[in-house]
Amino acid sequence: MNTSTFSADLSHGKAAEPAKTFILPDKCFKKNVACAWGRGNKFTIYPRSQTVNKTSTNTKTDDKLLNTRQDVLLFTPILRKLVNESNGTYLSLQKAAEAAKISDNQVEFLKLSRQFRSIIRVCIENLQDAATNEGNGIEKNNLLSYITIFYSIECIWHLCEIMYIDNVPGDIVLPYLLEWVRFHFPCHEQTAARLLDACERGSEEQEDYWDTVLGMVVQGRVDVARALLKLHSATESNEFKLVDNSLRSMPVYSVYGGISTGEFTISWKHWQAECRSKLSSRVLASQPKLELIMRIIIGDYSAFESIRSKYSSWFDILGGWVMFTAPWARRHELGGAAAACAGMMPSPRSHLDDMVRALLEGDLHQVIHEIQQISDNGWFATHLTDILFHCGKLSIMDKHQTNVTSRLRDSLILEYGCLLMEHKSLWSVGLSYLASCPPEGLRRAELILERMPVESEAKAMRIIAEAKKHGLVGVAQSVCVCMCARQLSGGRLGGALCWAMRGRSGAAASRAAHAALQHYTAHKALPAQDLLLTAGSAMLLSDTLLFLGKYCDFHRLYKTREFKKAAQLLVSLITSKIAPEYFWETLLLDTLPLLESDEPVFTSNDTYEIMLCLELRSSTLDGEKADLLRLALARNLARTALAEGDGADVAQ
Amino acid sequence: MPLEVQGTFVSQKISKIRWIAEDYVETKCFFTGSWDDDVNSVKVWTFESPHEEDEVEYPRQLSEYPVDGDVTEMKFTEKNKIAVSLSNGDVKILEVSVYEKQSPLREVFHWKKLHNYREEPCSCTSLDILEGDIATIGEDGNVNILSGRRGEVMHSIKGADSCSLHSICFIKHNEVITGNIRGHMKIWDLRSTNNKPAASFLLAGDELAATCIIHHPTQPHIILAGSESGSLAVWDLRMNQFPTSLVNAHSMGVSEMQFHPENPHKLLTCSVSGELWDWNMEAMTKSSKGQDNQVTWMPLEDKKAMMVNSLIPTLHKPINSLHCDKGRILCGADNEAVYLIKNFKY
Repeated sequence: MNTSTFSADLSHGKAAEPAKTFILPDKCFKKNVACAWGRGNKFTIYPRSQTVNKTSTNTKTDDKLLNTRQDVLLFTPILRKLVNESNGTYLSLQKAAEAAKISDNQVEFLKLSRQFRSIIRVCIENLQDAATNEGNGIEKNNLLSYITIFYSIECIWHLCEIMYIDNVPGDIVLPYLLEWVRFHFPCHEQTAARLLDACERGSEEQEDYWDTVLGMVVQGRVDVARALLKLHSATESNEFKLVDNSLRSMPVYSVYGGISTGEFTISWKHWQAECRSKLSSRVLASQPKLELIMRIIIGDYSAFESIRSKYSSWFDILGGWVMFTAPWARRHELGGAAAACAGMMPSPRSHLDDMVRALLEGDLHQVIHEIQQISDNGWFATHLTDILFHCGKLSIMDKHQTNVTSRLRDSLILEYGCLLMEHKSLWSVGLSYLASCPPEGLRRAELILERMPVESEAKAMRIIAEAKKHGLVGVAQSVCVCMCARQLSGGRLGGALCWAMRGRSGAAASRAAHAALQHYTAHKALPAQDLLLTAGSAMLLSDTLLFLGKYCDFHRLYKTREFKKAAQLLVSLITSKIAPEYFWETLLLDTLPLLESDEPVFTSNDTYEIMLCLELRSSTLDGEKADLLRLALARNLARTALAEGDGADVAQ
Repeated sequence: MPLEVQGTFVSQKISKIRWIAEDYVETKCFFTGSWDDDVNSVKVWTFESPHEEDEVEYPRQLSEYPVDGDVTEMKFTEKNKIAVSLSNGDVKILEVSVYEKQSPLREVFHWKKLHNYREEPCSCTSLDILEGDIATIGEDGNVNILSGRRGEVMHSIKGADSCSLHSICFIKHNEVITGNIRGHMKIWDLRSTNNKPAASFLLAGDELAATCIIHHPTQPHIILAGSESGSLAVWDLRMNQFPTSLVNAHSMGVSEMQFHPENPHKLLTCSVSGELWDWNMEAMTKSSKGQDNQVTWMPLEDKKAMMVNSLIPTLHKPINSLHCDKGRILCGADNEAVYLIKNFKY
């Protein structure tokens, strides 16, 4: 078997079909194959034979492991800039949303939305630069397709901003809509500028003269259209004057203009009736182009229909259509206009069409559903949904009419956050997304962080710092315990003790301390003395660690020839009975040189205690050593009992 | 002129950033070293205005030198030679051409696996330079002294620490101070052969790492250390082993500190919490003269009295490195961006 099929669960009623089929590059899987998931969207395919071959331990096979992972667009260097920069804006947005709970913060949201758009713009520019410099055809094509993706993202974001985030005075959307059309579908603009610059009479000789004039009218740039008409050689004729007059006298609505919508509507309708009567008087019959302009400005459907084919999409004429049919349209009234424009010419519906239509119809659920289909790994859907959510403009009901808005937002953010956590470097960005979605996000972060590969202490410390920042104390501890175990397996006892203390883990501290004590019994050298002598309260983490610390202190005292204190410490270590079993021999034999010192350092009571312990644990010492110790103890007892007896007498 | 901050995203987490000194003109080029990426690299950049009339300058990459592991520290041994320590235990000296900065970096010396746990890799965590000599430290707890001119290991202190070392600084030609992951500081006399520190003391009681150490540019007996907890400690090595002062500064670890090269009263610090601060240290030295007419350091009471300014709005990600040249400060951060701060008054 050298192909494998992964079928995805497709919702929305489409028939379940194999999503994609990948041909694995090797024929090495003639036997059975198996598959295991790795961290994130990664899995490994490997040959797996059912029969255990006992003889072939050294023979090399052709078996290969195939690591398979999702190719993530956002991980390309240029788009990583977008990911990082937008992360900053996203986090500012979360802060602003927090502040908005107390006071209205719409202006801040608009600012952040514009920031997002400028990030997209920079990204497009970067992609364009890269595409022009790219020699490789395939790479170039990839870059060009990324550019297309981000163009449509920019376009939709802008429209969304107008429809939901921007503060549109009086809700009269027309000026904003025209601006959107001009910005994203600049058509004839350059020609117009060129013609006006040249300022030559008789410009109609230029082949795209009329297209340009019409284009300007349709984009609502009446002034430019009039200026262009002035360049026509027949501009002094009555027909031209008539059209110019009509264009000039068009009422323009402004919220701050001092007239009510009703008044404006009346004057506007009056103006259009006048235009209509001019048209029906057939004075323009000799100038079909001027007639067309007049038909457009009275909002004649068939006129729009006739020019539709000159444009690549219906978005180009949307602004003009609204302008000349219902300039007072409010934000939620654009659905009809969109339907009218889209219906002017049968054309295959593109994805962008669907998105813009849904947006103008105010169906945000559909919009989000559509933008999730964009192959940008969810960047757009996540950020747009989040900002709409915080603006309070999103309200999505499921089929049981329960509000699932915040669940939708959370699920998108969680998905996006998890995707980024897969990346070696972008994990910290991913974490900040997950952390903004408590409690589920933090639980996920916990699971992923614990499985992050840690190559160096610097990375471990950074993971711990990030985990603590978000209150994931458990992760911080488990990373420490992990580091401790790693140091321990490498035989680096100082490091192990240090990480155990850092993680405040009693169990890890005990393991490390046992290892240190065993190391001492085997090599007669106490490891990590610098650490043990300076450690503070962390020593109390475990009994074994405490014992190790005290024992180390005993060594220090002995080395500095403070035998009295050393002896006291040793006796307390012996009598406390926290010493591990394997260490008793060492501990008891350590008394030997002190027993034999010139000045007696153990009191008779101490000696009795040591004797008791020796007899209780005589099995830990071999016979000769035990005898030697017994002898030393007896001799010490003899001289101390005598001396103490004297002392007692004197005291009396 | 007001402070100007300008960030550029570079698609790699920056662990170290360094201006390349120029002789008679304003610095334009700089080094960056990256970390925590699939393939890390040392890069050379220059500031350029894309359009003639444009005031704004953007960094443009001149050359790239991929390395194994993370870049952990970069410091100049000579004007155009930089020593780079890596998390795979290697140390390299790279040379950038003086006149043709876009030509690839040339490797001058390469110490392979200078720090190691025998077979296992071990990070070389930091290095410091004094007059061409390089002192390196690693997670293995060893200190190595290298000659940047001859390319040999001159001296090494095996097992200088039982834990991993994280910061180092030359005090004198024959003396270095190291800080470990627990904040245990040790002073080493490089002439002695007994592998025992000349002095040792603790940074603070919290057992957190000493992340960076520097000495005062004009009074080398004054040592400053930054802690993983974000606090800043100052020692006068002539006085005693306890810090003269310990200030709670940043809210998370101090990642790098630098005294302004032209004005020793200015200290710059950056932190894991994403802050970049400028400290006015004048208040510290203004106190009465000591017995032998030497300036003594005042204990710091709190940082408010210290005149601390924040130079950029707090970033959401750690700032790992800073480097200052006259009125221009560079910093590199974990949000895969480098920032240039212009018109800094010093």
